[in-house]
Amino acid sequence: MYGPRYLINLLLLSGVGGGEEKSFNLLAEKVEQLMEWSSRRSVIRMNGDKFRRFVKAPPRNYSVIVMFTALQPQRQCSVCRQANEEYQVLANSWRYSSAFSNKLFFTIVDYDEGADVFQQLNMNSAPTFMHFPPKGKPKRADTFDLQRIGFAAEQLAKWIADRTDVHIRVFRPPNYSGTIALALLVSLVGGLLYLRRNNLEFIYNKTGWAMAALCVVFAMTSGQMWNHIRGPPYAHKNPQNGQVSYIHGSSQAQFVAESHIILLLNAAITMGMVLLNEAATSKGDVGKRRIICLVGLGLVVFFFSFLLSIFRSKYHGYPYR
Amino acid sequence: MAEHSGPDSGKHKANHANANSAALLHGRAGAGTGAGGLSGGLSQPAGWQSLLSFTILFLAWLAGFSSRLFAVIRFESIIHEFDPWFNYRSTHHLASHGFYEFLNWFDERAWYPLGRIVGGTVYPGLMVTAGLIHWILNMLNITVHIRDVCVFLAPVFSGLTAISTFLLTRELWNQGAGLLAACFIAIVPGYISRSVAGSFDNEGIAIFALQFTYYLWVKSVKTGSVFWTICCCLSYFYMVSAWGGYVFIINLIPLHVFVLLLMQRYSRRVYIAYSTFYIVGLILSMQIPFVGFQPIRTSEHMAAAGVFALLQAYAFLQYLRDRLTKQEFQTLFFLGVSLAAGIVFLSVIYLTYTGEWYAKIHIPIIASVSEHQPTTWVSFFFDLHILVCTFPAGLWFCIKNINDERVFVALYAISAVYFAGVMVRLMLTLTPVVCMLSAIAFSNVFEHYLGDDMKRENPPVEDSSDEDDKRNPGNLIVTMLMLMLLMMFAVHCTWVTSNAYSSPSVVLASYNHDGTRNILDDFREAYYWLRQNTDEHARVMSWWDYGYQIAGMANRTTLVDNNTWNNSHIALVGKAMSSNETAAYEIMRSLDVDYVLIIFGGVIGYSGDDINKFLWMVRIAEGEHPKDIRESDYFTPQGEFRVDKAGSPTLLNCLMYKMSYYRFGEMQLDFRTPPGFDRTRNAEIGNKDIKFKHLEEAFTSEHWLVRIYKVKKLDNRETLDHKPRVTNIVPKQKTAVLDL
Repeated sequence: MYGPRYLINLLLLSGVGGGEEKSFNLLAEKVEQLMEWSSRRSVIRMNGDKFRRFVKAPPRNYSVIVMFTALQPQRQCSVCRQANEEYQVLANSWRYSSAFSNKLFFTIVDYDEGADVFQQLNMNSAPTFMHFPPKGKPKRADTFDLQRIGFAAEQLAKWIADRTDVHIRVFRPPNYSGTIALALLVSLVGGLLYLRRNNLEFIYNKTGWAMAALCVVFAMTSGQMWNHIRGPPYAHKNPQNGQVSYIHGSSQAQFVAESHIILLLNAAITMGMVLLNEAATSKGDVGKRRIICLVGLGLVVFFFSFLLSIFRSKYHGYPYR
Repeated sequence: MAEHSGPDSGKHKANHANANSAALLHGRAGAGTGAGGLSGGLSQPAGWQSLLSFTILFLAWLAGFSSRLFAVIRFESIIHEFDPWFNYRSTHHLASHGFYEFLNWFDERAWYPLGRIVGGTVYPGLMVTAGLIHWILNMLNITVHIRDVCVFLAPVFSGLTAISTFLLTRELWNQGAGLLAACFIAIVPGYISRSVAGSFDNEGIAIFALQFTYYLWVKSVKTGSVFWTICCCLSYFYMVSAWGGYVFIINLIPLHVFVLLLMQRYSRRVYIAYSTFYIVGLILSMQIPFVGFQPIRTSEHMAAAGVFALLQAYAFLQYLRDRLTKQEFQTLFFLGVSLAAGIVFLSVIYLTYTGEWYAKIHIPIIASVSEHQPTTWVSFFFDLHILVCTFPAGLWFCIKNINDERVFVALYAISAVYFAGVMVRLMLTLTPVVCMLSAIAFSNVFEHYLGDDMKRENPPVEDSSDEDDKRNPGNLIVTMLMLMLLMMFAVHCTWVTSNAYSSPSVVLASYNHDGTRNILDDFREAYYWLRQNTDEHARVMSWWDYGYQIAGMANRTTLVDNNTWNNSHIALVGKAMSSNETAAYEIMRSLDVDYVLIIFGGVIGYSGDDINKFLWMVRIAEGEHPKDIRESDYFTPQGEFRVDKAGSPTLLNCLMYKMSYYRFGEMQLDFRTPPGFDRTRNAEIGNKDIKFKHLEEAFTSEHWLVRIYKVKKLDNRETLDHKPRVTNIVPKQKTAVLDL
């Protein structure tokens, strides 16, 4: 560890001058205190007094990153909680990295513990990330631009590297939930197969497999992958008149609801085609076959024209109906 | 839109072809029942059938070819877009210098000062194909220019694609479906988008190679003959030489074999086909210099190797089962099964991860290319129309009547639809399978509802004539409606081709209110200016989009181009564009830049210009030089990107801004708008007083679309920081002269 040795150096140096001795002692004491806290928890909780003593008051030779937030449940700040998670990830990455030193500390000030700090800094929104440099006052760029960049740990790390020259490689604890879900699914399927080992006919059921294949196809052709990657809203509510629109006006984007509608339309048309075929090949009586045929035809024609009209409304300048 | 009632010959042909295929189904069904439904002396149904097939395929080829000619008719025979210009340039090199010279070609005019080894970094199939056609035509004393061969190569190959799709679908279902599939693929926009006349790109020939390889693969699985498999390997070799998408084949065929094993459909035929294919295909694919040893090193090819090993193990087990007692075999079997399960598990995991990998590309340079975006449903419908709704039905029929080769088409459909959903450009690989499966669905319906007409002539015993009367009008309605859908499809295809996919993007067109057309030929004007007025070895700096065009049309050295292999070099150019003039001058001097070329659309309202791309330059530069370039500096405090007075000062003084708007403030385009009004961004520019110190304007094209600046050399002599020394020695002679 780099920290303790540095402290010893400081103590040795502290014997040099009279006036500076005191400040050195004070500094060493502060650093020692902070190191002790951060060895216990990667993010140091602060109230107003601590904040003024360790973050605001000179002398300092360390940078402090402060997250001003409101984590109490009654404040109902869900953004704060998400930001806090990212912040913890970042602080832990720093705490357990090999480059850990006493140059940088992560702290947190909660509104309910240090409201006076918020007033002092003229701050009226949470969460806010600020960097307090070793010398001088924080400048404009020392406040993290949360609105534009977001609060992902990687972005925070980039900002910190920019402000302090300390490079933190964000290490996220691996997310096992996907693996566990997969394992559960596999064991479930395996268990099912084992329970029904005497009657494995259903594996050879072509209808089941065909259904599964069609599900994949419908999901893809209705743009579910786009939804997955882009994360659009479910539908759009017009703030002026409260109208809810399910279809996005541009051909470059879509809503989740819209893709579901398209999925159903595609499925209906496919079903119509299959029914048309069923009507011709099945060996039922003629009346039933006629009804199936009509239903199939109706499905195809009606839903296809519906689909076409949605397409027309999205793709401006499309000349055909 | 005014143009839309233009040459619609493709549409009519397409309709014709579709109608014809329906007529054929009519005839075929008649022949199938043996009732002799066609009037006249139908002595040999097979003869009629092949004549009809031949005619329909020919018409499909013709329809496909002619609907791809919109761009040639409207503009001229010209190479489109960006990448085709590089392909054209290399083909030209191949045609004029020979094959070996092409393979060893080191292009010192690209990526200055690095250069590019072209022979080893391209898929040569396209160039060799075009070069070969050119050579043969010249042998026959038909002297065509290599450019015309390049322009018309993709439309010609679309006909070959139609034929190979016909063959494949015939193997999968029947001849009628095959003909429908050929008609579909000839005119479907999803394929036309990559194969209009002038788009001289790898995909144009690769889809033919893909379909033909699949046809030969299905054929070899069906017959189990080494002959067909070797043909398949040769076709695969052609595909590898043509397009990087061969990876799709080398993963899909093993997947097919693997699923066949799982379904206990193992047979000697599969064993022979796959073993031969894997070995011969592997060796052949390694002959392409660009591919080299990748097939035995990279993870994309490992699934094929795994399945090869698995197949050998499975065949060995089969052999043992014939030789050993049941007890011995069971222990061995469990050993084998556990081993196989491990391999399978790994390959499945691998397959999922490659899929995820496509979705998780976040490098800015890749994100900046719009082709790498996921696909909305609108794109699917736009490119495939009715087919996207009906092909699941075809898939349904295939799975319900499963056999060895239908397993293949089902896997093809599912994997292709997944990849098309992830990345919009992979719509291209989905299109053929969609055409085949839709054709199967439509052909099924037609077969039932048209075929009954024939039954009426000698009604089956159990059908009373009463029922027949009721059913026939229904049949007619079904047929009419289906034909109507197909007609709508043909109309849609023609409209999409004409409006969306037939712009060369090198030449722009705008339309007046009365429908007359203005051609904006600024790009070529500027490139020819460069070609005529600059030194032969002049280095031109531009954003990478225009690299291939500058090399192809202006024949000048470029710093970066569309082959984006060196991110740091691109970032350096981006940094020069986004720095202020002094900093940029240092970068440009270190890169020996003589001219800078930019695209500016503010005068005519062209939205694809460099200011609109500018943020990507900043982002890419920031990725490599985070100390010097920061994206946030180019935004207003409110986080907006604006070019007017409220814009950030860094933006208003960066090189790109200054070059774009130099002297633009003096120009009043319209009486309603102030001088210096940018039509693309609808704003009055914020910095009208732009002066250059190290650059000078060299050329601006007619509509200001392309602006070229010359980078000045250093001044001859540095200015002194002290006064020149004064001596008191006065030259006598001079004074004497003056006195006189």
